Amino acid sequence: MRLDRELTCIEVVELVTAYLEDALGGAERERVEEHLVFCDGCSTYLEQIRQTIAIAGRLEPEDIPAALQEKLLAAFRDWTPA
Amino acid sequence: MIAYKFLENGAVSPFAGFRWPADEWVDAAAADPCRRGIHACRIEDLPFWLGSELWEIELDGEVVVQQRKVVAPRGRLLRRVADWNQAVLAEFGADVLARTRTRFGAVADLSGYVGDIQIHLASGRVPLAAFAAARAAERSGGPVEYERERSRQAAWLADRLGLGAV
Amino acid sequence: MEAPPPVEERRLVDGLRAGDESAFTRLVHEYGPSMLRVARMFVSSRAVAEEVVQEAWVGVLNGIGRFEGRSSLKTWIFRILTNTAKTRAVREGRSIPFSALGGEDEEGGAVDADRFLGDDTRFPGHWAAPPQRWEAQPERSLLSSEALQLIEREIAKLPPNQAIVVTMRDVEGFDAEEVRNALDISETNQRVLLHRARTKLRRALEEYLK
Repeated sequence: MRLDRELTCIEVVELVTAYLEDALGGAERERVEEHLVFCDGCSTYLEQIRQTIAIAGRLEPEDIPAALQEKLLAAFRDWTPA
Repeated sequence: MIAYKFLENGAVSPFAGFRWPADEWVDAAAADPCRRGIHACRIEDLPFWLGSELWEIELDGEVVVQQRKVVAPRGRLLRRVADWNQAVLAEFGADVLARTRTRFGAVADLSGYVGDIQIHLASGRVPLAAFAAARAAERSGGPVEYERERSRQAAWLADRLGLGAV
Repeated sequence: MEAPPPVEERRLVDGLRAGDESAFTRLVHEYGPSMLRVARMFVSSRAVAEEVVQEAWVGVLNGIGRFEGRSSLKTWIFRILTNTAKTRAVREGRSIPFSALGGEDEEGGAVDADRFLGDDTRFPGHWAAPPQRWEAQPERSLLSSEALQLIEREIAKLPPNQAIVVTMRDVEGFDAEEVRNALDISETNQRVLLHRARTKLRRALEEYLK
């Protein structure tokens, strides 16, 4: 039975991205935070999303291959500034 | 306007992670650039935001009332409510349990919430226990009863901590 | 990845305009690897991605005289890159739908329904099996290169539109507005794609850390 005065965890989990983007309206943001006060599961979930973002942020790409670098340099040398 | 604010250990706000200075005016933008406001509790809001530390806060500027809190452009922590601590939190939990047991302990569909509250209290999850009590009340009599249970929780806190006394 | 600060950026722009090769080399070093990574998500092969990057840099050089500094140089460069990549993708018959509306893969809830309590319980919709905090597992540390490789692999498995958005947002550090502009998509679409991507990445990490 769905009652009036709560967000369920199912709903909160779907709102985490909007929450982190500060894209929720004030009332909905408040309901999410109200829920996080008593819900360890959702607090943990939110923390895990943050950790996931942090890990993604540490990915370093490989250097571009030397052959490509040379082509780019060649293109630059062919180019005349306007 | 004087209001209240729950913070985590070290006067840190639970969502923004902002470390509040004592007795210094803080601008909303400094506390949390996204939030555009200092959040605070009226007495009726307290049960929703239970945290480790309770502070009295002075708010300045236009105060906007939301459903479970007030928001102002500036705030200043005045004093820590020294009476608020883990032991009192546990007393609060015990009161919630006692009330719920009295009301619903013998009601078939709702008595399960009493056991839930006991379990949550045993693991130190007082805010969850308080929510469970409000939920049980809501199951028994709809959203109005949810609010009434929360009001009782607020009244207990105000009384126990001597809040709101002029 | 840190962008050069604004003053530095202006010097690089001026340098490019003046034909200063060291400015170009610096920018290629700074952004080239990320450009290649993003381009790769649009097109069918590494070789094609390299061509896209080349074409994009030519576009940067041809356009640098018109760059007004209203966005950051990085944003502007990546907008050229994504436009070039999109055009190339279309030529390859691979058009990537960025509208998040419908037609995607699973798109059930973020978490399996059986992790939550049913409607006949005292807390419908609440966690039945809540997630466990990750930091308590030192031997499978979040800081490990294994975790990084896992995320990289999982991003590669995402539908391209999700992979591109999460890469630009969380890997490259563009903000929502920059990604919206670069990809020419709405804020809502961007957020939905980001949400789906992060949901899957978190789940993969959760599996890995079990």
